[in-house]
Amino acid sequence: MTREAYWVLVWRQFCKHKLALAGLAVIGVMAIMAVLAAWVGRYSPTAYDLEAMLQPPSPAHWFGTDELGRDVWARMVHGTRVSLQIGFVAVGIYVAVGILLGALAGYYGGWVDLWISRLIEVMYCFPTFFLILAVLAFVGPSIYNIMIVIGLTSWPGIARLVRGEFLKLRSQDFVQASIAAGAGDIRVMFRHLLPNALAPVLVSATFGVASAILVESSLSYLGFGVPPYVPTWGSILSQAQEFMDIAWWLTLSPGLAIFITITAFNLVGEGLRDAIDPRLRV
Amino acid sequence: MLLAIVLGLLGGCQYRVPRDAGGLTIALAADPSSLNPITSNDAATGEVLSYVMETLADRDPATLAWRPKLAERWEVSPDHQTFTYHLRDGVRWHDGAPFTADDVLYSYERIMDPAVDAAVLRGYYKEILHVEKVDEATVRFTYRQPYFMAFEFTAGIPIVPKHAFDDGTDFNTHPAGRHPLGTGPYRFVEWVTSRRIVLERNPSYWRAAPAIDGVVFRIVPERTVSFQALKKGEIDFATLFPVQWARQTNNPRFLDRFTKHRYYLPTEMYLGWNIRRPYFSDRRVRQALTMLIDRERMLARTEFGEGRLISGPAYPDHPSYDRSIASWPYDPASAARLLDDAGWTDSDGDGWRDKDGIPFRFRFLYRAGSSRGDLLANVLREDLQKVGIGVDAQRLEWTTYVKTINDRAFDAMFGGWVGPVEMDQYQLWHSSQAAKGSNHVGFADPEADRLLEAARREFEPEKRAALYRQLHRILHEEQPYTFLLNPPELVAADRRFTNVRAYTLGFESLEWGVNRAVELWQ
Amino acid sequence: MTRYFFQRMLLMIPTLIGITIVTFGIMKLAPGDPAELKAQTVQGTLKGGSLPEEIIAETRKLYGLDKPVWEQYARWVWRLVRLDFGDSFKDHRPVLAKLKDAIPITLCLSFATIAITYIIAIPLGVVAALKPRGWLDQLIAAGLFILYSLPAFWVAMLLLVFFAGGEYWNWFPLTGFISDGAERLPLLNRFANIGWHLVLPIVCLTYGGFAFLSRFSRASMLEVIRQDFIRTARAKGLSEWRVLVRHALRNAMIPLVTLMGTLLPALLGGSVIIEQIFAIPGMGRLGFEAVLARDYPVIMAIAVIDAVLTLLSLLLSDLLYVVVDPRITFGSRS
Repeated sequence: MTREAYWVLVWRQFCKHKLALAGLAVIGVMAIMAVLAAWVGRYSPTAYDLEAMLQPPSPAHWFGTDELGRDVWARMVHGTRVSLQIGFVAVGIYVAVGILLGALAGYYGGWVDLWISRLIEVMYCFPTFFLILAVLAFVGPSIYNIMIVIGLTSWPGIARLVRGEFLKLRSQDFVQASIAAGAGDIRVMFRHLLPNALAPVLVSATFGVASAILVESSLSYLGFGVPPYVPTWGSILSQAQEFMDIAWWLTLSPGLAIFITITAFNLVGEGLRDAIDPRLRV
Repeated sequence: MLLAIVLGLLGGCQYRVPRDAGGLTIALAADPSSLNPITSNDAATGEVLSYVMETLADRDPATLAWRPKLAERWEVSPDHQTFTYHLRDGVRWHDGAPFTADDVLYSYERIMDPAVDAAVLRGYYKEILHVEKVDEATVRFTYRQPYFMAFEFTAGIPIVPKHAFDDGTDFNTHPAGRHPLGTGPYRFVEWVTSRRIVLERNPSYWRAAPAIDGVVFRIVPERTVSFQALKKGEIDFATLFPVQWARQTNNPRFLDRFTKHRYYLPTEMYLGWNIRRPYFSDRRVRQALTMLIDRERMLARTEFGEGRLISGPAYPDHPSYDRSIASWPYDPASAARLLDDAGWTDSDGDGWRDKDGIPFRFRFLYRAGSSRGDLLANVLREDLQKVGIGVDAQRLEWTTYVKTINDRAFDAMFGGWVGPVEMDQYQLWHSSQAAKGSNHVGFADPEADRLLEAARREFEPEKRAALYRQLHRILHEEQPYTFLLNPPELVAADRRFTNVRAYTLGFESLEWGVNRAVELWQ
Repeated sequence: MTRYFFQRMLLMIPTLIGITIVTFGIMKLAPGDPAELKAQTVQGTLKGGSLPEEIIAETRKLYGLDKPVWEQYARWVWRLVRLDFGDSFKDHRPVLAKLKDAIPITLCLSFATIAITYIIAIPLGVVAALKPRGWLDQLIAAGLFILYSLPAFWVAMLLLVFFAGGEYWNWFPLTGFISDGAERLPLLNRFANIGWHLVLPIVCLTYGGFAFLSRFSRASMLEVIRQDFIRTARAKGLSEWRVLVRHALRNAMIPLVTLMGTLLPALLGGSVIIEQIFAIPGMGRLGFEAVLARDYPVIMAIAVIDAVLTLLSLLLSDLLYVVVDPRITFGSRS
C-alpha cells in the first residue's frame, strides 16, 4: 500500500465518524471567522464606549458589551484568531521539539537514549502548569511568550511517543533494508521512520491544541495572560468573572466558545485516532 | 470513603458549625507573612496587628491630629531634633508584664540590627542618632538633623515586647513573631496558617475594653469569592470595589443586612511619564497627554462616580493640597496643537507622529492584576492612536514591575502611592532622588528642589503646607505625572454592629457595639 | 526484581540533580531579587524613598544571596542532603513546617480526585466499549468531551455562585477545607464537615479527567475483547457478563493501573487555580505565592518534593504492572 493510499483510507475511515466530521466543520468555521475577523466582527475589538458599558445582548451588540463598552462579539471573533494562533503555534513548537528528541533517542538508543530519556523525565517531573506560570512571571506575558513557553514545556509527551514508535519500527525489515542499502541516518529517520510514526503524533497534537487553549485561559485567570486589550477567549472570560452577578452574558460567550472549540478538536482527534489505529476498528 | 462521607451528609448528621454572633469576621486577601511588625510589612500583617499592637501616638481618624496612645505626652526640643515621650502608666502586655521604656529601646535596636530582616524600617530610622531610656517611663529619640517627618516616624515606631523576644535566639524566626503579644484592645488567640487568625477581647485593656468579643480573620485569596462570602453572611465586614458598591449592593436584600460606608485614605493613582525618554522630555507633550485622557468620564463610568479627581500629589483633605488648581481639561484639539508645537508631527506620513526619526510609540507599564491598569491600557491605546501615538502594554507581575521601575526601564507607567497623611514629597520629586530614589520619572526643577528642601526643615504646619501648595502648582504646569484619582475606601459592615461610623481616615472599631441576638452559621 | 528496583532508584539521581539545576537556573535568571523586593514593598505597594545600598546588601547577606551562584547552589544541596530545606525568605519559617501544613491537604485532594475519577470513568469506558460506535458510546463520548472542554475556573465560579453563594441553592460552603471550630465536633461529623467542604473543589478537579481516563479504558477494553482468549470464552458459552467482568475487564485494567502514577504530577500542579478560588491552603497555592514572592527556598523545596513524588509514583506504577500482570518480569524489560 502506498503512503498516499494509506491517507486516503484514513480519510475515508474518518468520514464515517459523524461527530468527528462535525468537529472538523466547526474548526473550519472558526478558522474562517479568524481570518475574516475584521469583517465578521463588525466593530474593532478595542474600540470602547464608556456610555454603553455592560449592556445586555441587543441587535447592535449581539453578545452585549463589557465593562469598557467594548463589543463582545467583536472581541470574541478577534479572540478566535488569537486563541487558535496560540493553540497551533504552541503545539507546532512542542511537536517539533518532541519529534526531534524522540527520534534521536529512539533511533540511536544507547547513551543518547539514556540522556534524552533523563531529560524527558526531568521535564515530566515538573508540574507543567506551574513551570509555565513561573517562567511567564519572569519573562512577562505576551502572545509570543505564551506560545513559546507552552511549546517548550509540553514536548515530553510527544518525545516519549516518537521514541517508542522508533524503537518499535527500527528493527523492522524495511528499515533494516534501507540501512543496508546505505541510506544516511537522517534519511532513514525522516523519510522512512517518521511517516510511520506520524499518526499517533497527529492525534496527540489535535488534543494538544485544545489543551493549549485551556492553559492560556487559565493563565489569563491568574493574571499571567496577555494584556486584556488583546482579545483572547481566556482574557475575555477572566475579565468577565467580576461582573457575573450583573452581566452574566459576559462569561457565557467566551465560556461556550472555549468549550465548543475544544470539543471540536477533541472529536477530530478521536476520529483521527479511530481512523488511524486499525486495531480499534471493530 | 469520600462517598461514605457524602452519604453521611445526606443522612443529616450534624456537620455544620455555628458562628458566634458577638465576634467580628473579616476576610483577609492573603496570609500574613508573620505577625512580627518589625520583620513583616505586608498589608495583611498591618491589618491584623492594628487590633493587637499599639504605637506611642497615632492620628485621630476624625481630626487628623496626633493623639496619645502608649505615650501619655511628649516634648519636642526647640531645635526639632530631640523627641521625648513619657510613657503611659499601668499599660501591660497581654501576658501581664508591664510595658516599659526597655521595650521601645529594644524594638529600635532590633530594627537597626543587620541580622534582622527589617530593610524597609531600617531605611526609615537611619537618620536617628540615638535612642535613650531616660527612666523606666521615658524614652528620648535624637535625630542627626531636623526633619519634619521625624515626629511621625518616632511616634509610629512598631513596638514589640522585649521580654518575649530577648532570649538570645534569632529574632527573625522567633516563635513570638507568630504569637504576637501586644498592648491593644484584642489579644492573639491562634493562627491556623493560610486559614484563619483569631483574636479575642483584651479585658484588661488600659482603656475601656471593646464591646465586640473577638475578631476572626478568614483568608480568602479570591476577591470575587470574598464578596460572595459577604453576601452570604459568612463575613461581617469587607471592602467593596466600585462596581460592587454601585451596582451589586443596592438591593434591599443586601441593604437589610449591611450598612455601607465611604471614606478616603491618602492614596493617589497616577500615570508617570519617564522624562528621560525623548517622547516625554518636553513639558508640552506631557500636558498634551494629560489633555488626551478623559479623566472625568472615566471616573463617572469605570469608577461609577466613586473617587476624587486630583491635580497634585498631596492628600486632598490636607492643607498642603491646593484646591484652587483645577486639573487640565479633556481637550484633544489643544493637545494635538501642543504636540505639533513640540515637534512631534507625522513627518513621514505613515499615520504616526515622529520627531528626529523616532516614531512616537511607547510602552505603558502596569502591574498584572490591576483592573484599572487593564482598562487604562485599552483606553490609552485607542485614544492616543487617534492622534497618531502608539501604545503597547507592558503588563508585569509585581516583582518584575518593581524591578523595571527601579531600573528606569519603562516609558510610561501606571502606579499609585499610599502615603501618610502628610507625605515628604522630597523623595518623589527632588532631582537628587532621580537616580536611585522614588523620583523614577526623573523630574528635575530647581525651584521645586528649593521648595522641597525648605519644606523638610519647616516645622510650622501652615508654612509647610504653603510650600507644598507652591510645589503643587509647579507639578501641575510640568505634569511629570498625570494625576488621576484619589480612590475611595468603600466598606460594607453587618448591621448587627452598632455605632459604626466612617471618619475622614476610617473607622474607630473601639466605639462599636454589637447585637448578639442573631443566629449565624458558617 | 530487587536489582531492577535499585537500578531505577539509581537512575533517579541524575534526574533529581537535573531538576534542581533547572529550577535553580530559572530562579536566578528571573528579574528581581527577594532582597530588593522586600526592601521596596510596603503593604503591597511600592515604598517611597530611596533605599541605601548598604541596607539591601545587609538583606542579601541575611538571605545568603551575597555568595556566588554556584556556592549558593552547593550550600543548598549540602543542606538538602541533611534534609534541611532552609527557612522561607517570606516569613522565616522552616520550609519543612510550611510543607507539613500543605502536603496532607494536597494529598487528600489528589487521592480523592484520582479515586473518584477512576470510580466514575472506568465503568463509563467499559460501557462505551460494549457496543463501539453505538448510540451509548457516542453519547458518553460527547458528554465527556463537553466536560473536558469547560475551563475549570469558570465552572468553579459558576458552582460557587449557584451552589454556595446563598442566593440560589445554599448547599455547600464557599471556601476552605474545614469549618472554624469544627475541632469541637465528634470525629465522624468532623470528617463529614471536611467532605462537605471538598465536594465542590473535587467536582472541579475530577470532571476534566473523566474524558481521558474513560477513553483510555474504552480503548483498552476494545483491545482485550478482540483477543483470542475472549473469543474462546465466548465460544465456551459463558455468559456475556461473565466474559466481560471475569476475563476482559481484568486484563483491560493493566494499563489503567500504570496510568495512575502519571496522573499525580498533573494534580499537584494543576490545582493552583482551584486551591486559589476555594481558599484551600495546599501545595499549589504555596508554590504560586512563593513564585510571586521570589521565595527561593520554598520554590526549590516544592520542585524537589514534586519530583520525588512523581518519580516514586512512576516506579510504583511500574511495580504494580508486575503485580497485576504476572506475565511481565523485570528481567526481560529494558
